[in-house]
Amino acid sequence: MAETPNGTESDPISLHNFSEKILEQVVHFHVMKLSGGFFLWVGSSPVLSNLAVSMSSKYDAMPLSTLVIGDPSDTAPNSMAQRLAKKTKKQVFVSYSLPMTDSNLSLLVENRIKKELELHPEHF
Amino acid sequence: MSSAQPIIRSRQTEKEVNGILTQVVCTEFSNYIFIVLTQYGKIGTLISVTPDSRSNDISTPTFSTRVLLGKDEPLTHVCAKHLATFVSQEATNRPVLLGLALKDSSIDSIKQMKEVIKSCQVW
Repeated sequence: MAETPNGTESDPISLHNFSEKILEQVVHFHVMKLSGGFFLWVGSSPVLSNLAVSMSSKYDAMPLSTLVIGDPSDTAPNSMAQRLAKKTKKQVFVSYSLPMTDSNLSLLVENRIKKELELHPEHF
Repeated sequence: MSSAQPIIRSRQTEKEVNGILTQVVCTEFSNYIFIVLTQYGKIGTLISVTPDSRSNDISTPTFSTRVLLGKDEPLTHVCAKHLATFVSQEATNRPVLLGLALKDSSIDSIKQMKEVIKSCQVW
């Protein structure tokens, strides 16, 4: 995973969609691969209800994360962005637009993302 | 066990604007239009362009811009309004989330970029 210095020419942005039935509901995933990072949207209906951004810091073991859109009491987007930033060492934008009722669901959703990261690292 | 149809629609294109490769990705959500306009391949500065609800009278509608992430400069607001106002108006007043990473923000380039956004219409 080479670091891309600010200002260098970059690969074209690529888009990747996939979906999976998790706990009786179809969950959709949309990935936009950017230079040095990616945008990931997760949802069951086409709503963008929040957006978190996370990236690693050399001063802290856990990546820094902030919520730029949405309800701060919903910690799902931040924590997912943080964990994905840690795993990929990239700047990660996450919109987690699923109802926050079931914490089991978010765990399964995260596992599904990790599976996709392993199967298709070229999309992230 | 993946189903094929994505539920959000997106279109992308790239074009040279005054000699600089410019990429555009437009994504449609029911409550937002998300546009990435970049000459660095990154999202860069993230700005929301929202129609003001008060402007329901006959006068021209007004829009508010807010920098959600990145350097908050006056020029960023000008560019964002110039680029995204028409999108919001065409998309039944949906707010626009705009990722802007430009090497060249001249008025001539901005005008050309607006056309590139138009060619990626998802709304």
